[in-house]
Amino acid sequence: MAATTQPVPAPVEDTQAKVKRSPAHFDRNPAKAGWFTKITLAVICVLWMIPLLGTFLTSFRSLDDVQSSGWWTLFTKPSSIARLTLSNYDKAITGGADMGRDFFNSLAIALPATFIPILIAAFAAYAFTFMEFWGRDVLFLTIVSMLVVPNYVAFVPILKLYRTLGMNGTFAAVWLAHIGFGMSLAIYILRNYMATLPKTVIESAKIDGASHYQTFFKLVLPMSVPALASFAIFQFLWVWNDLLVALVFIGPGDNEPVTVGLTHLKTQLGQGWELTTAGGFVTMILPLVVFLALQRFFVRGLTAGAVKG
Amino acid sequence: MVTKALTTIITIIVGVGAALIVYWILNKLAELLPERLEDRIKPYLYILPAFLGIVVYLVYPAVLTVINSFRGPISQNWVGFANFTTLFKSHDFQQTLINTLLWIIIVPAVTIVIGLTVATLSDRLRPGAEKLTKTIIFLPMAISLIGAATIWRFVYDAEPAGQNQIGLLNAVGQLFNKGPVDWLSTDNFHLNSLLLMVILLWSQVGFSMVLLSAAVKGVPVDTLEAARIDGANERQIFFRVIVPQIRGTIVTVFITVTITVMKIFDVVYVNTNGGFNTNVLGNQFYNEISTNLNYGAASAIVVILMIAVAPLMWYQVRHFKSEEAA
Amino acid sequence: MRVGTLPGRKVLVTVAAAALASTGLAACGSGSGGGNSNTVTIWSSIDQPVQDGLKKKLVSELKADNSKITIKWQKVENINQLIITKIQAGDTPDIALVPQPGVVSQMKSLGAVKPLDGVVSKDELSSYLPGAADFSKFDGKTYGLIVSMNIKGLVFYNKPWFTQKGYTAPTDMAGLVTLADKIKSDGTAPWCFGIESDTATGWPATDWIENILAKQSGADVYKDWVTHKVKFDSDDVKKAFDTFDQLLLTDGNTYGGSKAIVSTNFANTGNPMFQSPPKCGLWEQGSFAPSFLPKSVLANQDQNIGVFGLPPESAGGDNPVELGGDSMTMLNDTANVKKVVKLLAATEIGEDAAGSSSFISPHKDFDASKYPNELTRDMVKVATGATTTVFDASDQMPAAVGSGSFWKQVTAWIAGQTTEDKMLKAIDDSWPAS
Repeated sequence: MAATTQPVPAPVEDTQAKVKRSPAHFDRNPAKAGWFTKITLAVICVLWMIPLLGTFLTSFRSLDDVQSSGWWTLFTKPSSIARLTLSNYDKAITGGADMGRDFFNSLAIALPATFIPILIAAFAAYAFTFMEFWGRDVLFLTIVSMLVVPNYVAFVPILKLYRTLGMNGTFAAVWLAHIGFGMSLAIYILRNYMATLPKTVIESAKIDGASHYQTFFKLVLPMSVPALASFAIFQFLWVWNDLLVALVFIGPGDNEPVTVGLTHLKTQLGQGWELTTAGGFVTMILPLVVFLALQRFFVRGLTAGAVKG
Repeated sequence: MVTKALTTIITIIVGVGAALIVYWILNKLAELLPERLEDRIKPYLYILPAFLGIVVYLVYPAVLTVINSFRGPISQNWVGFANFTTLFKSHDFQQTLINTLLWIIIVPAVTIVIGLTVATLSDRLRPGAEKLTKTIIFLPMAISLIGAATIWRFVYDAEPAGQNQIGLLNAVGQLFNKGPVDWLSTDNFHLNSLLLMVILLWSQVGFSMVLLSAAVKGVPVDTLEAARIDGANERQIFFRVIVPQIRGTIVTVFITVTITVMKIFDVVYVNTNGGFNTNVLGNQFYNEISTNLNYGAASAIVVILMIAVAPLMWYQVRHFKSEEAA
Repeated sequence: MRVGTLPGRKVLVTVAAAALASTGLAACGSGSGGGNSNTVTIWSSIDQPVQDGLKKKLVSELKADNSKITIKWQKVENINQLIITKIQAGDTPDIALVPQPGVVSQMKSLGAVKPLDGVVSKDELSSYLPGAADFSKFDGKTYGLIVSMNIKGLVFYNKPWFTQKGYTAPTDMAGLVTLADKIKSDGTAPWCFGIESDTATGWPATDWIENILAKQSGADVYKDWVTHKVKFDSDDVKKAFDTFDQLLLTDGNTYGGSKAIVSTNFANTGNPMFQSPPKCGLWEQGSFAPSFLPKSVLANQDQNIGVFGLPPESAGGDNPVELGGDSMTMLNDTANVKKVVKLLAATEIGEDAAGSSSFISPHKDFDASKYPNELTRDMVKVATGATTTVFDASDQMPAAVGSGSFWKQVTAWIAGQTTEDKMLKAIDDSWPAS
């Protein structure tokens, strides 16, 4: 909480000193945060944190406590702190399915289902941005309008297809499903980003005799890193937290991901949510790590730097 | 566990490797062609895997959906336009359309405003503070739907008067001796719909923030500096220098969020399931296909969505044209 | 060009095929179950402890029989939806335990379920509670048999308080009204009532109405109502709604007033009964409800919680009791599957589950000493004392009504957003055409 208020006094000298030390001196926005900036951001951050913090604290309280008093009781009546317990986490991790197994399954699903669609979409986005071909706009619009189709309508036809191929229940079945369902958005975002790249650079590469394949891997891909990183974050997140696709194409059993495993904790009448919440906090750790790891790609001047290189 | 870890790694490598090999081969294949043909065929080879995926997983099911929208509940008989006329005649469905429209008008715009605010303002903070701010805004995206539903339960919950309020809003009310309000069943001025939108905003602003932030970082510093030297103030710089340069990303985010909102269902489903006049198209679709098992009506809703997206596509085309002209 | 492309394409195809095969293999290698003919797959959404208990007994019976059958029993989220999707895709388990007879009927119209007549013996069928073997009977054939049940229309109370005040369980509907009035005049709200349940908000209210209708108008009217031969907008159903209105929506009859009903979570509804002094006196719910009460109450449940069934219209008269529960359906009819079905329909199948979970057997000859406590035995007595049993009506109606308009309209009515007549017409209008 304290952190969210950003009490950063921001001594000007300090910031500039840092910038000077950094070799990448494009990474400098001349504007500095004034009080308006700080207050606005602080307010937004606090608003964003309160519901999350409340639930996080709740996840350490016993169900009876949760149902009889609010989480802020921890601050107003410190005596209740003594009753905090790890039992929700304990039950969430050991109570239902084999969470260790499910965790590895989730990884085996999410990593390829993140990487492959980005590769495929980047190739397609490159073609849509930098290549001239017949039917380009029509094909692109077809792809984008598919964004509006809920993937639910695909379940029965795809299940039938998988059945003839004997693919139901395999990892490849969910990979392909996530690739297909995520492709529209991936192409859309990447192509619109690539359209903002300086065309002159690509054309001069062509004049220098670079093939499309080389231009793609050596020039466009590095220049698109911020967009690729953004999309990687989202795709990983969606696949990691996906329940429906996993349930339909893998189902419960030896290949089930964490999201499916967590549903075993709930009873038919919806009881047991306190365990799924605790489980939810555990499973959100990895997407956060991915976000933090990829955040370093959102740096000013990265694209400019790549152009030079 | 060790074997499980090993098989996991092998599975991942095989999956990713296979995808890489496909492209390597596609490229080699194209290079075997004479140069003139190669240039003509290559674009199609590059988009082929993507297009195959979309055709199998989206276009083909979408075509089936259009066909099924003229058939009965389990797609066994033809019913003409009956699915559509039943929908449009129903008073509930008219309300559903109005609610959906409300979502479309409000959510994408607010998402952009908050996302852009955080993206541009946090850009001025020190790197550590910037990272922290963005992480906080991003956090809700990382939590699963079930988690998010529980989180907001502790905000909107109402207990009978006299009991301890465990919902944040009503607990604050209790401090000021205001009786509990059952927020989610109060549809005066669509209050409950607005409160549901807050949930979506809370969890999805991270999306627009990340994309817009990447775009803001891409604005060349020299253009900003030039504007400052010309004596522009920060507001003018934002509206005259930054916004025009990231207009493309704004359009991308706006269209993406609008389409997401058009088919939004989970936030509504888990909180009210469309009760108390909060129903939206996506939730109606979900109920028809998963609870009522009425594929005809569900398909008709998807067809309505497909038609409704046309104006956005038209706008997108115009945006392309202006982009190319520039 | 001709020279170039042909081999290239071949390479492409071979490599792509190899890649595809290896991903498939890798997936299989990490454990996707290869189906062999001795495996019988069962899907259910019932709570894990119940499933574990049933499976334990099933496996030990098979072992005792020297059978080679292995059981793969999987808990799936929301089986009602998943099973229909999987049937359309042709990828189904051998046996599915389905909570809604309405879904069994849908499975039947998709041609996916086999009749159980002949698989389960007449003797076994006659051991079910009266009427309980007929919940999934369509066109004279049985397509589903209830395996694990819960009893609806039970009224729970704070036992020490109830005894101390000198109240007694009513024997007819009029007696129930008198009891409620007495509790009210003694200064306590007679009913704990909350119907909030996420996506399913409203069901506790529809349970109430179903129970009242069954008691007041009898099982036959009830069954005709389920098939819409009796409309919502009919005298019988209106009378049930009026009784409900009088019992629960009269000022001061419900704790928190009718405003709180729609926002109070059904599972927390009973908690105020155990505050001191109790904030409300009676809580109508199903047999699963005691488990929602605070731990301190459950620590000594036989002493703390009392229960009686909603009384018949007239004392000693026709007394239908409403049940809910999961019905087994058979999607393949191999000898192995039939064998498992037979075992699941036997009275003994619940013997392990009864002691270790909330399981209640639908068989009238089930050994009650297997239940873990007096409270459960008292609840079971309500069911065994029934003249006939009926299944939860909203679970039998088409989902658009039973899991849709019925819940939503009643909720809106209680919240004061519609009138009784408008509500009844709206529900009738939402009944699917075919």
